[in-house]
Amino acid sequence: MKKCRSVFFVFLLLGCIAARAQKRGSLILGKDHLVLVIDLHSSKNQLDSLLKAAGVNGANTAAIYKGDYSTLKKDGWKLTRRLKTTLQFNRSLAALNANPPGQPYLITSNFSGDKDTQAGEPGYPADEPYGINRFSAITVRELPSGATRFFLPGYLGAKRVQLSGSFNRWSTLKGVMAKTDSGWVADVKLTPGVYEYKYIINGRWQHDKTNLLQHPDGFNDINSVYYRYNRTFLLPGFANAHKITLAGSFNKWDANGIVLQKKGSNWETKLYLHDGMHTYRFLVDGKWIADPNNPATVKDAEGHINSVINLGEIVNFKLNGYSNAKKVYLAGGFNNWKPNEISLKKTATGWALPLIIPAGNFGYKFIVDGQWITDPLNPRHVSEGGEYNSFVAVKPNYTFALKGYTNSKVIHIAGSFNNWDPDGFTMAHTGNEWTISLCLKPGKYLYKYIIDGNWIADPANKLYEPNEYNSQNSVLWIE
Amino acid sequence: MAGWQKGECSSLVSVNGITFKNAVRSPDPDPSGDFNTLIVPIKRAGNLIIVEAQIDSVAGNFVLDTGAPYLVLNATYFRDMPHIAEQESAGLNGSAPGSFTTEVHNFNILDLHYPRLTADVTDLSAIENGKNIKILGLLGTRLFNKLAITVDLFRNTLYIHKLNDDGEIPLAEKAFHDPWMVTPFKYMNDIIFIKGAANNNTMWFAFDSGAETNLMDYDRVRKLLPGMQVISRTKTTGVGGSSSEVIYARFDTLTIGGRRFIKNRVLLTNLDKMGKAYGHSVDGILGYDFFIRGIFTINFVKKEFEMYIYTNQ
Repeated sequence: MKKCRSVFFVFLLLGCIAARAQKRGSLILGKDHLVLVIDLHSSKNQLDSLLKAAGVNGANTAAIYKGDYSTLKKDGWKLTRRLKTTLQFNRSLAALNANPPGQPYLITSNFSGDKDTQAGEPGYPADEPYGINRFSAITVRELPSGATRFFLPGYLGAKRVQLSGSFNRWSTLKGVMAKTDSGWVADVKLTPGVYEYKYIINGRWQHDKTNLLQHPDGFNDINSVYYRYNRTFLLPGFANAHKITLAGSFNKWDANGIVLQKKGSNWETKLYLHDGMHTYRFLVDGKWIADPNNPATVKDAEGHINSVINLGEIVNFKLNGYSNAKKVYLAGGFNNWKPNEISLKKTATGWALPLIIPAGNFGYKFIVDGQWITDPLNPRHVSEGGEYNSFVAVKPNYTFALKGYTNSKVIHIAGSFNNWDPDGFTMAHTGNEWTISLCLKPGKYLYKYIIDGNWIADPANKLYEPNEYNSQNSVLWIE
Repeated sequence: MAGWQKGECSSLVSVNGITFKNAVRSPDPDPSGDFNTLIVPIKRAGNLIIVEAQIDSVAGNFVLDTGAPYLVLNATYFRDMPHIAEQESAGLNGSAPGSFTTEVHNFNILDLHYPRLTADVTDLSAIENGKNIKILGLLGTRLFNKLAITVDLFRNTLYIHKLNDDGEIPLAEKAFHDPWMVTPFKYMNDIIFIKGAANNNTMWFAFDSGAETNLMDYDRVRKLLPGMQVISRTKTTGVGGSSSEVIYARFDTLTIGGRRFIKNRVLLTNLDKMGKAYGHSVDGILGYDFFIRGIFTINFVKKEFEMYIYTNQ
């Protein structure tokens, strides 16, 4: 009877395999082995995804079509059946018993096959070139102190109301709001940018019902979106104009997207504008004009005069000497390494240029009469694609400092912020310590110092965790 | 998320490595709080349930983890806590090298106050990395063993219920009514074991709110395997470079409490080590793929698991 059942099962399995194989191959389980059926009529993409699911890395699909199964064999698969257009491979499941995990999270936490969330981080909006708030009633406003006031009307019977958002890492303990006679308020210091938030009313999440800007929260609900502004566009005069709009590189020259409001003798609009260089014009009753209050202009490819604004921080680049050079240019990550774009001015002692650069970490070089050189005044360097460049961090928010090691010639820092490139960042030796400042987004970073080839955890940092090399990585959280 | 020690380690008094054989620690005192039902906002990190809590002045994120028997603290932030017991070396019980037992004072989940709690300190970096959220620790079941909890992942809310003398949530305090499924569970070594069936084969599952997928023990479910469709075969690498191979597969029917759950997904691996940590062998672990099907209540006193289907009650 048992034998009958086994025979029946084998037929059932083969039938099932054949039916699936008619489509585009299959990957199913047997009692103690995996069964991979490849349909040679399936497309390269179908075969690629089937092999990826089967965990066969680096498979050469073209070779498989030609009868070369070496990558599969190398991965432990045995060819067990060959029909005209289908191949069946089996692989033992014995490996499942090797090295069993001690805790479920060791295999489920970083397993990517079952996440309901999308790629990226829900609740933490990506940078946007610009943004304008939209409220049905203004409940979030800027105070003269520079703080942003969030006001939740009503809920006067609530015991506890909180404001939680990307600005406080979605804390459910902080952001306690104060009760007023008409609702609840909380003041938050925000730097210009885009934020998501919700209220927590007696322990229950609720989006801001007066805020019309929303992002999905990744969990079947929405977050409210708020832009902290940093820019006012002002156009004086044009008292008789009917409609004035603003368009620029930041909104892809959408002529109807940003409408200016008449305020006294001016037209104006406020918005959030991301760091960087932007070009723009106003459209006054159908006629384009550059900003009369902005002397910085640039001509576009069609010959139009556009106004220019450059948001960021001034970095003073300086190159001493080279007094006989004819031209000195600057190129770096901030201008996509275009060699003949940013020209330094000659000074009494050499060459110099104040340049506005957006926040970030950048490699750069000077180009002296066609010859690329690193900045002799800057001891900090970065290795990028094998190139050794000078390094500048604009609006840095963290400084790594390593005390001592005065006899070391060079000290690097490598970490999750630069894919652990051992040549990544070269630190500067100033006084009794080695330092480098970086511009790091909020989140967790792991890092180590490399001193004359030896990797060490940061002796000044109490936070560390074990790594796959049975040593420790230092842990840094940027809030 | 399970695999912690069974708690016996806390029975002897030990101060920084010196163990006092005749001194026995008293159990953790019961928590207190001025509420009948405490409503706690939940955050999510991947498929993990995150609750903020406070130890003295340190506040941060904890994983609600019914796979952990009691409080577990992340060694990255708590390795300087006093040792009241060392743990066995890694391998037998799944705890990482250097793990130890400590006790914390004044632990609070909003208004729920624990004057003293036994806690394990171990490396939880595997959870933290990739999630990009600071994890201070895990909230294991013993924190709630005199209470009931309801988890509503559709509104991201946790309800912590005090129970009446009959061990019930008072009717007026119930957030949801008419459960779609009710099943008793066994509560052994502070782990919840639920009897169920996968494709009509009876199995014992640990219920683990910290498991981001369902899991089944490869050896114990072999007869279920033939014909199961495989979603992927992957290798995972852990701390120290150790790697495990797992198969992620679909199976048709899971039956719990007489209710059928269809279109299930499961990771197949070897659960021997986890069973040792639980103090009881286990056929499978019910994780996110199971509990996301509804709102669930765990009554630790009546040892009853309920599931509600969301109807905006």
